[in-house]
Amino acid sequence: MTATARLALTATLCAFAAPALAQEITINSFGGAYEEAHRKCVIDPFTAETGAKVNIVTAYSADAFAQLRAQKDAPQYDVIHFSGGQEIVGASEGLLLPVTEEMVPSLADLYDFAKAGVANGEGPAYQIAAVGLVVAADKVPSEPTKWADLMKPEYAEHLVLTNITNGYGMIGLLMLNQIAGGSGDDIQPGLDAVSQLLDAGAVVVSTSPEIQAEFAQNDAWIAPYASDYAFTLKKAGLDVKFIQGEEGTPASFITANLVAGRDNVELASKFIDKSLSPDAQACFSEALRYTPTNSKTVLTDEVAADVVYGADAAKGLMRFDPRVIEANRSAWTEAFAKTIAR
Amino acid sequence: MTDRRETWLFLLPGLALLVLGFVLPITRMLVLSVQGPDGFTTDQFARFFQDGFYPSILWRTVYLSAIITAVCAVIGFPLSYIMARSGPRVRLWLVIMVILPLMTSVVVRTFGWMVLLGRNGLIASTLRDFDLVGRSFQLMHTETAILLGMVQVLLPFMVLSLLGVIVRLDPRLEEAARTMGCSFLQTMRMVVLPLAAPGLLAGSILVFTLSASSFVTPALLGGPRIEVLAGSIYKNVTQTLDWNFAAAQAVILFAGIALLLVPYLRLGRRAHG
Repeated sequence: MTATARLALTATLCAFAAPALAQEITINSFGGAYEEAHRKCVIDPFTAETGAKVNIVTAYSADAFAQLRAQKDAPQYDVIHFSGGQEIVGASEGLLLPVTEEMVPSLADLYDFAKAGVANGEGPAYQIAAVGLVVAADKVPSEPTKWADLMKPEYAEHLVLTNITNGYGMIGLLMLNQIAGGSGDDIQPGLDAVSQLLDAGAVVVSTSPEIQAEFAQNDAWIAPYASDYAFTLKKAGLDVKFIQGEEGTPASFITANLVAGRDNVELASKFIDKSLSPDAQACFSEALRYTPTNSKTVLTDEVAADVVYGADAAKGLMRFDPRVIEANRSAWTEAFAKTIAR
Repeated sequence: MTDRRETWLFLLPGLALLVLGFVLPITRMLVLSVQGPDGFTTDQFARFFQDGFYPSILWRTVYLSAIITAVCAVIGFPLSYIMARSGPRVRLWLVIMVILPLMTSVVVRTFGWMVLLGRNGLIASTLRDFDLVGRSFQLMHTETAILLGMVQVLLPFMVLSLLGVIVRLDPRLEEAARTMGCSFLQTMRMVVLPLAAPGLLAGSILVFTLSASSFVTPALLGGPRIEVLAGSIYKNVTQTLDWNFAAAQAVILFAGIALLLVPYLRLGRRAHG
C-alpha cells in the first residue's frame, strides 16, 4: 500500500468513525430481562440509526433518582427512566428539561394520559405496567376475581405481599387500602389489612426475584403484582396468570426524562423519540408485556391479549397520584415497616 | 532529616486515603445528622428514640452481630488450629476451602440459602417428613437464617486472623504443657488460647463490624419483617431519600460499635502485653 493510499484510507475511516466517537449518551435501565429488551427494542436500533454510543447504568427508579439529586451540579445521565413517579418531583426541583413536539415528534401520537405531565416538565410515559393479581393457575383452588378476594382466609398462607419500598408493592398496598375504605390521606385501613393478612400466614418480600422464589419453591398462590412480571414467571416455566381485579387496574407509568444541565440534548431527545416510536413499543410489549402508550402501535392478537391495548381499554387504567405518594413516601414506608416488624 | 521526610512520604498515600475516604465522609455524616431546615437540630435522634421500633432494630443489630462473632470464633478456633498444625499442602487446600465462599457474589450465595431454608427447602421438608413442624414452617425470614448466612460469609475473616497467629506459635510450648501433665483440652485452654488471643481479638473485631454494617444478606434472608440498622439506613438513603435521618442512624450505629470496641481494644492491649 502506498503512503497516499494509506493516508486516504485513514482519512475515510476517520470520517466514518469521528461522529460515532464524539456522540454518546448515558441512560439508566432496570437490569435483567428489562435491560435486555431495552437494548433490543430501543438502544440497539438507536445506535444503528445515529451511530451514537449509549452507556447504560443499571439503577432502579429510586436509586437513579437519588443519584440524579446527588449529581445536581454535575449530572451524569442524559436520559433517566423512572417507574415510580419520580419525574414529578424531579421536574419540580428543576432536575429535568421539558420536552416539546419539535424535539420529540412522536409525542403527537401518544395517548393523552401518557403526556399529561409533559407541560410541567415531566418526561412522557413510554410504557404502562398494570398491577393486578398474579395467580398460580395450577395450584389455586378457585381463582380470585377481585382485589377484595385477597382477604379470603383460605388464600392467606399462600399469599405473597411486597414491601412498599418496591413501586408495585406501594401500588398494591394503596389498592388494598382503597378496598378497605382508606384514602390518600389515610392508609391505616390498608395497614390493618396487611397486618391481618400477615397474622393469617402471608409473607412479605422486597424484590421481584423473591416473588419468583416464593412461587417456584414455597407454594405461593397469589401475589398482587405487575402484568410484566406475570409474563416473566410464565417464561420461567411457571403456570401463572394475570388477573385484573374488578375494582380497577392501578398502573405504574414508566417515563423517559431529559436531564437538565447536559450538553447533548438533541441526541438525548432523539433517544426519547425512539422510545416512544410504535416499533419500539410493539417490541417492548412483545418481549415483556408492557402496555404501549403510542396510539399507532400495532400488536399481534397474542400480545394484545396480555396487555391493556387500545384507546378504550387504556381508559380503564387508574393511577394513584404520584405526588401524594411522593409526599407521604417516607412516613408510609416507616409506618409499613412498623406494621410488619416482628 | 531525610529519614523523616521518607517516613512522611510513605505515610502520605495512606493518610490521604484515610482523610478522603473516611474522615471527610464521616464529618459530612455527622453534620447531616444534626442538620435541619432551620439549622442545628436533634430531631432526627429524637425520632430514633420516639418509640421502641428503631431501638429494637439497633438492639437486634448488636446482638445478632455478637452471636455471629461468637459462632465464628467457636467454629473458627479449632479449624485454624488444625490448619496451623497440618502440613503446608493440606493447609493450602483448607485455606482455599475457607475462602471459597468469598469468591461467589453475595447475592448468588444468599439465593442458595434461600432455596435451602424456604418452605419447600431441604430443611423444612425433612422436618415436615418427620412431622416435627407444621405445613407453613420455614427458616427463611428468621434471625436464624441471617445467622447462618452471615457466619458462612464472615468465617474466613476469623479463620485467617487466627491462622496468622497460631501458625507462629512454637509447637514445643504445647509439648512442654503435655509433658507437664496437661490434657489436650487443658493445653488448648491454658497455652494455645491465651497465646492466640490477639488473633481472636482481631478476628472478632473484623467479624463484628462487618456483620453490624452488612445489609444485603440480612435483607434477603431475614426479609423485610426483620430489619437490621444498616438495612434501615440503606432504605432511608435510596428509597425514602431521608438522608438526615439516615445520617442520624449511621451516627448511632457508629457510636454503638465504637462504644463496644473501646473495651475490646483495651483487652487487646493487655493481650499484647
